[in-house]
Amino acid sequence: MTTIRRFCCNDLLRFTSVNLDHLTETFNMSFYLTYLARWPDYFQVAEGPGKRIMGYIMGKVEGQGESWHGHVTAVTVAPEYRRQQLAKKLMNLLEEISDKIDKAYFVDLFVRASNTPAIKMYEKLGYIIYRRVLRYYSGEEDGLDMRKALSRDVEKKSVIPLKRPVTPDELEYD
Amino acid sequence: MASKFGLAGGIPERRVRPIWDAIDSRQFKNALKITTTLLSKHHNSPYALALKALILERMGKPDEALSVCLNAKELLYKNESLLMDDLTLSTLQIVFQRLDHLELATSCYEHACGKFPNNLELMMGLFNCYVREYSFVKQQQTAIKMYKLVGEERFLLWAVCSIQLQVLCGNGGEKLLLLAEGLLKKHVASHGLHEPEALIVYFSILEQQTKYGDALDILGGKLGSLLIVEVDKLRIQGKLLARAGDYAAAANVYQKILELCGDDWEAFLHYLGCLFEDDSSWSCETINASINSPKFVECKLAHLTDEVFNSCVENASAFVQKLQAETSNDSLRNPYLAHLEIERRKCLFRKNNDDGVIEVLLQYYSRFGHLACFTSDIEAFLQVLSQEKKIEFLDKLMKNSSSLSAVPTKALGQSITLLKTQELIGNMFRLSVAELEGSAVQMAELYCKNIPLSKDLDPQESMHGEELLSIACNVLVQLFWRTRDLGYFIEAIMVLEFGLAIKRYAWQHKILLLHLYSYFGALSLAYERYKSLDVKNILMETVSHHILPQMLASPLWADLSNLLKDYLKFMDDHFRESADLTFLAYRHRNYSKVIEFVQFKERLQHSNQYLVVRVEAPILQLKQNADNIEEEESILESLKCGIDFVELSNEIGSKSLIFNEDFQSRPWWTPTTEINYLLGPFEGISYYPKENLTKERETSVRGLVERKSLLPRMIYLSIQSASVLFKDSSDTNGSLADHKTSLELKSLLERYAKLLGFSLNDAIDVVMGVSRGLKTYEVFGSDVIDWLNFAVFFNAWSLNSNEFGQHEGKRTPVSWQLVNSLLENYVLSKLRSMGPLIQSPQGDLPKLVQAVTEPLAWHGVVIQSCVRSCVPSGKKKKKSGSTGQSISLLSHAVRDAIQSLCSILEEIVRWSQDQIKSPEDNKIDILVSSLKTNGQNGGPGHVFHILETLASSPNETELGNWISQALRAWSPVDVGRKIITGQSRVLSEFCRICESKIKALKSLKQQIAQV
Repeated sequence: MTTIRRFCCNDLLRFTSVNLDHLTETFNMSFYLTYLARWPDYFQVAEGPGKRIMGYIMGKVEGQGESWHGHVTAVTVAPEYRRQQLAKKLMNLLEEISDKIDKAYFVDLFVRASNTPAIKMYEKLGYIIYRRVLRYYSGEEDGLDMRKALSRDVEKKSVIPLKRPVTPDELEYD
Repeated sequence: MASKFGLAGGIPERRVRPIWDAIDSRQFKNALKITTTLLSKHHNSPYALALKALILERMGKPDEALSVCLNAKELLYKNESLLMDDLTLSTLQIVFQRLDHLELATSCYEHACGKFPNNLELMMGLFNCYVREYSFVKQQQTAIKMYKLVGEERFLLWAVCSIQLQVLCGNGGEKLLLLAEGLLKKHVASHGLHEPEALIVYFSILEQQTKYGDALDILGGKLGSLLIVEVDKLRIQGKLLARAGDYAAAANVYQKILELCGDDWEAFLHYLGCLFEDDSSWSCETINASINSPKFVECKLAHLTDEVFNSCVENASAFVQKLQAETSNDSLRNPYLAHLEIERRKCLFRKNNDDGVIEVLLQYYSRFGHLACFTSDIEAFLQVLSQEKKIEFLDKLMKNSSSLSAVPTKALGQSITLLKTQELIGNMFRLSVAELEGSAVQMAELYCKNIPLSKDLDPQESMHGEELLSIACNVLVQLFWRTRDLGYFIEAIMVLEFGLAIKRYAWQHKILLLHLYSYFGALSLAYERYKSLDVKNILMETVSHHILPQMLASPLWADLSNLLKDYLKFMDDHFRESADLTFLAYRHRNYSKVIEFVQFKERLQHSNQYLVVRVEAPILQLKQNADNIEEEESILESLKCGIDFVELSNEIGSKSLIFNEDFQSRPWWTPTTEINYLLGPFEGISYYPKENLTKERETSVRGLVERKSLLPRMIYLSIQSASVLFKDSSDTNGSLADHKTSLELKSLLERYAKLLGFSLNDAIDVVMGVSRGLKTYEVFGSDVIDWLNFAVFFNAWSLNSNEFGQHEGKRTPVSWQLVNSLLENYVLSKLRSMGPLIQSPQGDLPKLVQAVTEPLAWHGVVIQSCVRSCVPSGKKKKKSGSTGQSISLLSHAVRDAIQSLCSILEEIVRWSQDQIKSPEDNKIDILVSSLKTNGQNGGPGHVFHILETLASSPNETELGNWISQALRAWSPVDVGRKIITGQSRVLSEFCRICESKIKALKSLKQQIAQV
């Protein structure tokens, strides 16, 4: 019931019901188009019957050496398609691309420290809170950097939690 | 930034770095200072100059920046010994681009490439310039040069994309594709291909030429291994086979896909398409189709014999059953929906298999009825059923409702699905008032009963059953439409506000509310709701239709201005940066995105909304400045006196318009921006299936833009025309110009009349007829504002024309009287028929606002122009003879017109003030008392009462902390107060506009009295 395919520009005109959700950010055009231009395989959309957009995931792959990793920038599901494990499916897909195609060491993501439902979901998907990033969101709310090791990181070194929180300027990547 | 040798543009890198640092930290003054020092040493360095220009531009000094840039460019061209590095050129390029002089940047690069023909870096810069200019042919030529120089795959693909763009977005013939194919073929033979994206582009080149077989050969060969993900490869293979007509093989491929991903709905549809040898699922979508209209799967079955059809169905059913048996995952909807699709096709083929569809629909409900997406899943399947059959299905479904799931959340989901299905089928239009009331009450009860289920949810999550409130609102609005009992309408508002009090993020509630508030004349409150949706970036293109049309006809100019500005900024920013992003896709070798980006930009450029806003934004400025003719003239000047807009009006007929708005979230009573059922009587229409109204909308938008874009020019010419009478007739140049003005205004009036469906003379007869009471305003239909505009401009033209308005050799004020009485009668009759806003929502307020801010305002501009030329300024001599006579006649006419407008406006002010001043508590009483049930069974208030009861004594243990708190804070009186404040704000703004006009008119009256 779900076709998962690459996200394309026209989907920007069709994701309204997903993006009106207050927790889903609508970025500026250059943000979306930069992701599409650079990491088209990391921007996937799930489509239901009648070509309705059910949800999507956007991400990228970046880093050097052992911090070469996949990153989930956003994952979101329309209200009427929630509680059907769609986010899990999309996350698994991104993990697989990071793992199999790009041979990354881990996948990471940032989440608002207050967003308990999302944190719980990521934990269920095998993500570990790697570190806290102080005032990551608009200089106000803390963010949690969560990680999941991929097959290339045999010893799971990438997910050993840091003991102290970091500040946004200490982050290696944006 | 530094080059290999520590030099940047010929200057040591360490000296340049501080400048960039200062720019990056936005310390432009400091940056300029360092640059000036640098320039004192390197005064002939184009790079240093480019930096200076960059800083000046950032400081908001475009003219200085341009002149410095041109200086740098000149130095580059002149000095043979100077080095032409990409850093200098790209810095210049940035500035030129920001100054909207792309062509200058391009010529710099062209010059540099001519000088150093084999410099790859410069050629890439030049290619980039052509990308920015969308010069596909030059892109191709440059890419080919680069390819020849270094033989790299990427440059070949840049050339191939540029060719494809010529064919898809330019005027290149399809023959060019053969060239692209040849280039690729040759390269593959000698070098192979290394990027999956290159292969995708190769396929698309072949597909565009219908060379499916060739593409299949390549896919099956060595190159096919570039596609790592098996399913991706199979999807391409399936599509190519099907397009080549080898349906049997294609069906096998799609089977494989489904075995790998059992939930892939699209693959299943393709699979069926292959079995039935039907290619409709591959046919290309037309680009100007509305992107958000519901897409039902089209299929062609007529070519099949019974026998073939049956065997196909058997195969498909067997396969689906196999899939179903193999899948361990019970929650996969695909196999079940697949059965439905098969039944649907049987129904379409045999035209009598409705029962089969109904049967499978019921099965689907018993499995997935609790899911929120149930109704959208089945929408397309319901379409094949007749209305009677739909009702039959609904009846059967309702019978099932006695056996709800034992899991409370599931049972709730199932109940909601039943209600949503009723809504989808249009049952709301069939039920009696009493039945509707009963069902709304049921919804409220169900909602209240199930609130405890959400007790442990995070306040940010969607609550169980919150949709019930939207559905209840829909029913209540239906009840209002039927009975015109305002109580239902207020109740609908209260229900949604109640939902928002508990969960303030429910955007569905906000959208419904913003439409209710718009209708209720509380537009400022509607706009607040709209703002709380945080509509930004691309959502402005798809979502602003909810508020924009109402705002365009409102007195909330400041808010409207922001809305228009934000939207235009978003669109124009995208058009500006889109090419750079396209180049990014080139650089990262994601060639398919190159094509996509260019097509998407074109899609936005043809947006109907963009066009409308581009016309409405200057018209708003003209409205805002209409009380001051000098300011009006300076606005007109900035609009090139409206010439471009006339051109737009001429061209609009041949322009393709694209509709990107997402109408799916609109309420049932206003399915498009043009329709609002509540404005008319209840007709029992069934609004399902929602018709595809794109065609009608296209005609209506074209008409609107065509008419509106004539306005600026007509206003400009009217000002000229009204001042002409008093010019010295000895000035022959002047009178020649006046004659031209008159001719042009006449031709625009002819156009305007034609757009209203009349010849000029007939249109004049119509307005004359109405003004003399021989015809009623009804002849104007819904175009009344346009007709009033026509009358105003006609009067302006008459002032300077011999064709009309002469009586016994003298100019008579016939056309003045015409406008006076048309405006007066229209406005006053509206005022008389309109009750207080609080008791009669919507009414004619928007029309009244439009009449004042458009025709009346333009008429005011004409008057100002007359007065300005009538009133002798210091040096002018007093006119004598016939001129003097006509001045006196005219000044009389103008005085009368001023008097007439003043009295109209004063009436409006009085009417508005009466409403604003009436005590707030009385108004709140009116609202709240409309919700009292008075112990009766029927009528409004019962739903509200249920919610009130829940809120009055929330049980904290049952409902949890945050819900109880929210319930305690709920106050219907506050909602009432907000509505009243909202209405008052709109009226106050309207008053302010009217008062400012009165003030301006009074001062004109004093001036004209001196004549």
